[in-house]
Amino acid sequence: MMTQVETTVHYDNGYEEEYMIQEEEWDRDLLLDPAWEKQQRKTFTAWCNSHLRKAGTQIENIEEDFRNGLKLMLLLEVISGERLPKPDRGKMRFHKIANVNKALDFITSKGVKLVSIGAEEIVDGNVKMTLGMIWTIILRFAIQDISVEETSAKEGLLLWCQRKTAPYRNVNVQNFHVSWKDGLAFCALIHRHRPDLIDYSKLNKDDPLGNLNLAFDIAEKHLDIPKMLDAEDIINTPKPDERAIMTYVSCFYHAFAGAEQAETAANRICKVLGVNQENEKLMEEYERLASELLEWIRRTTPWLENRTPEKTMVEMQRKLEDFRDYRRMHKPPKVQEKCQLEISFNTLQTKLRISNRPAFMPSEGKMVSDIASAWQGLEQAEKGYEEWLLTEIRRLERLDHLAEKFRQKATNHETWASGKEYLLSQKDYESATLTEVRALLRKHEAFESDLAAHQDRVEQIAAIAQELNELDYHDVAGVNKRCQSICDLWDRLGTLTQKRREALERTEKLLETIDQLFLEFAKRSAPFNNWMEGAMEDLQDMFIVHTIEEVQSLIAAHEQFKATLPEADGERQAIMGIHNEVQKISQSYGIKANIVNPYSTITIEELLNKWDKVKKLVPQRDGALQEEMARQHAHERLRRQFAAQANLIGPWIQTRMEEIGRCSLELGGTLEDQMTQLKQCEHVIVAYKPNIDKLEGDHQLIQESLVFDNKHTNYTMEHIRVGWELLLTTIARTINEIETQILTRDAKGISQQQMNEFRSSFNHFDRKKNGAMDTDDFRACLISMGYDLVGCFKLCRGMGGLLYYFQIFMEKHSLIMYGLFSKLTHTVPSLCLCASVSQGEVEFARIMMLVDPNATGIVSFQSFIDFMTRETADTDTAEQVVASFRILATDKPYILVEELRRELPPDQAEYCIMRMPPYKGHGAPPGALDYTAFSTALYGESDL
Amino acid sequence: MLACQHLFIREQVLLRGRAPWGFTLRGGTEHREPLLITKVEEGSVAAAVRLQAGDEMVSVNTVTLSGSRQEAICLVKSSHNSLALVVRRWDVQPCSRS
Repeated sequence: MMTQVETTVHYDNGYEEEYMIQEEEWDRDLLLDPAWEKQQRKTFTAWCNSHLRKAGTQIENIEEDFRNGLKLMLLLEVISGERLPKPDRGKMRFHKIANVNKALDFITSKGVKLVSIGAEEIVDGNVKMTLGMIWTIILRFAIQDISVEETSAKEGLLLWCQRKTAPYRNVNVQNFHVSWKDGLAFCALIHRHRPDLIDYSKLNKDDPLGNLNLAFDIAEKHLDIPKMLDAEDIINTPKPDERAIMTYVSCFYHAFAGAEQAETAANRICKVLGVNQENEKLMEEYERLASELLEWIRRTTPWLENRTPEKTMVEMQRKLEDFRDYRRMHKPPKVQEKCQLEISFNTLQTKLRISNRPAFMPSEGKMVSDIASAWQGLEQAEKGYEEWLLTEIRRLERLDHLAEKFRQKATNHETWASGKEYLLSQKDYESATLTEVRALLRKHEAFESDLAAHQDRVEQIAAIAQELNELDYHDVAGVNKRCQSICDLWDRLGTLTQKRREALERTEKLLETIDQLFLEFAKRSAPFNNWMEGAMEDLQDMFIVHTIEEVQSLIAAHEQFKATLPEADGERQAIMGIHNEVQKISQSYGIKANIVNPYSTITIEELLNKWDKVKKLVPQRDGALQEEMARQHAHERLRRQFAAQANLIGPWIQTRMEEIGRCSLELGGTLEDQMTQLKQCEHVIVAYKPNIDKLEGDHQLIQESLVFDNKHTNYTMEHIRVGWELLLTTIARTINEIETQILTRDAKGISQQQMNEFRSSFNHFDRKKNGAMDTDDFRACLISMGYDLVGCFKLCRGMGGLLYYFQIFMEKHSLIMYGLFSKLTHTVPSLCLCASVSQGEVEFARIMMLVDPNATGIVSFQSFIDFMTRETADTDTAEQVVASFRILATDKPYILVEELRRELPPDQAEYCIMRMPPYKGHGAPPGALDYTAFSTALYGESDL
Repeated sequence: MLACQHLFIREQVLLRGRAPWGFTLRGGTEHREPLLITKVEEGSVAAAVRLQAGDEMVSVNTVTLSGSRQEAICLVKSSHNSLALVVRRWDVQPCSRS
């Protein structure tokens, strides 16, 4: 119904040109779409009403209600907040035009050039003109001042929209028409500013109607934006009216931006107040800082004033570190704070003075001067704190050192002392031997010197403890306790050492005493034991006695022994006493050692056992001796019986022997007479035999009784037997001798006279008259017959005898010696002198060998006859020859050839020269001959 | 009245050293005489062991002599360093009679 009118509105602002271009486009579109006019009419009407309601009025029809210009003026007044000239009150057309002009003039006065809009058209109700005029008003008052970052109003609004909707992904505002069709842009704007009013996440892009209605309803209800368009208006058109949308959006802008502006205004007030507030803040800040600083000082000062020493170096050093931290880290900011506080205070006062405000008066006690004095107090406290710390650390260091020294020394000492108490309390000496006790004593002496050496240490420890006390060591109690325990232990050790020494010495003395007793025991027990052993041996001795006297002497000895028993018993008791003494000492002094007598292997039990044995043996011995006594009496009877017999038989045999001897010695009678007598004698002897047999019987009894001696007779059975046998043999031999003499006499042709001569000599020297000469008799006989057994030559009566001897000799040796012996006849005395006794004995021994080769010790008449007949024929010896040669050699041990030739007949001389070996001894001239070797060889003698 | 039967004693001697031993031996079955020591040199080894003139040699170096002179001399001469003799000695002290 509205005609399309070309708008000729021109703006004098900078962007008119651009705007107009758009306008033309927009106008063309507008003309093409009557829907836009409808939209504009609706939108603008709502916009006008939204302002007019503040003045208590509204319009119904936009082209009708502004025709008189009154409501238009009212609208402008409401919008601008300024008063317009008083409208004309007439209802006349010119009145209406005047009023409209007044409105238009006001708009113009606001810098808007209204091109081709005249009051008449408005008054006439030209829709197009009216809408254009309203749009101009909207542009000027609702949009123009939307200027974001120097852009045009439209761009500004667009930019605002873009900025506000930027976070919403499905909203892309590029213009003021199609971009708004889905309604999300409106919703986004609302949500952005009032998220409480809309739940954006539930919106759907495909529900434009719902979206738009929601946005418009919320805007109307909560944002005081009247509904300027219907949702259908926007949806049912391909391109919504730009002006309508812009107007609508501008309302949103104002609704939100208005709030912002209010804020800005408030801020402006705040700025004004800000200074005040700032000042107050500064004051508060000052107060706060001052409080804090004061609080810090208040807190810190006591810490610095606290000079309570810590116990350990570590703690002290931590304190020093704390102090260092305080000086390095905590204090510097506070210094700065203090400085800042003063500056702040001055600045604040200056500001207050400038803004003509009263000077700042800090609350009580927080004045700058207060702070300064507090600070001064802090500094005062701080001063000397470090020095104190260092001093304290040095003190602690010293203390630590001392304490460590104390600990070390104490530990050393404790280690040393540990177990000593136990060792000293040991009763080991109670079970020790003397040697061991002496060793223990030596050991103890060593310990005592060790102990003495430790005196210094203990004193040092005490001194250190004292120093620690003086230096007020924190753990003085512990040190004192330890020191005290060391000292106590030390005292105890001293006491124990003394006690132990006494105990050891006492034990040593006791053991020495015991040792002495042992020695005494050993000294006495050994001989006593020996005596007992000897006694036992004697008591058990198997005695073999042969006589009553022997038994009696044994009994006497036994009695004598018994007499010694009391004395021995005394000795035993003495030894027992010694043993008991040892036992008593051991028991009463509690010596536990298994004391063994080192000097003796004899035990007291042994001694007592032996003693008992001895005592038992004594009566046994008594019995044995008595028994023996009886046995000996029996023997004695046997002896007497035997002796009586033997004493008869012995002399009888002797008488017979003498008879026989007499028989053979009787001269005068013929050998045949003697024979007759001897035969008679033999008969008597044979008849005597039974006597001998009886004696044999007695002898057998004696032997069976083991009696071997008999003092009642000199005759033993053996004597009797030998005598009897001798008698038998003598009678037989004598008979035989007589027979032999008869034969010899007859054989050798020895005359009865010669035989009688031999016999008379023999009988003469047979002094025992038993038909045999013993050696002495024979020696005397030889001497009587001319044998010089003192010299070596037979001394015949006169030189004739000697010559006779030589003749016999020469007969035997082919007369070699004749000359030699003829020489000798002149030198017999000297020969006799040079013979020696021993040579005589030798010669006699040699002769005995010849006459008694069986060493019977007697020379029978037969052997005497043999010797006499032999000696008369052969009586030379090597000595005799040697002696003869020595005479020729004038006592030289050798003989010379010329001497032999001078002294001997030529034959014998040559014989000797040929046979004599050369003399080998010293000092002989060459050719000397050994006559000794020659002579001995001659007689079968060898020098060995 | 009964003759003592032990007029001879046997003497055992040991001579140490070397020849000459210092005694003279005489006799032997060759000369129908017992082997007799007829001389003992003074100061000789033989004298030192109290060998006496008149001793009859019974054994030499434990060899009992048969009586041969030759044998006795051989045994003595074959002895070196030591010579063990047993002699029968005429006990000069007459045996007392019981």
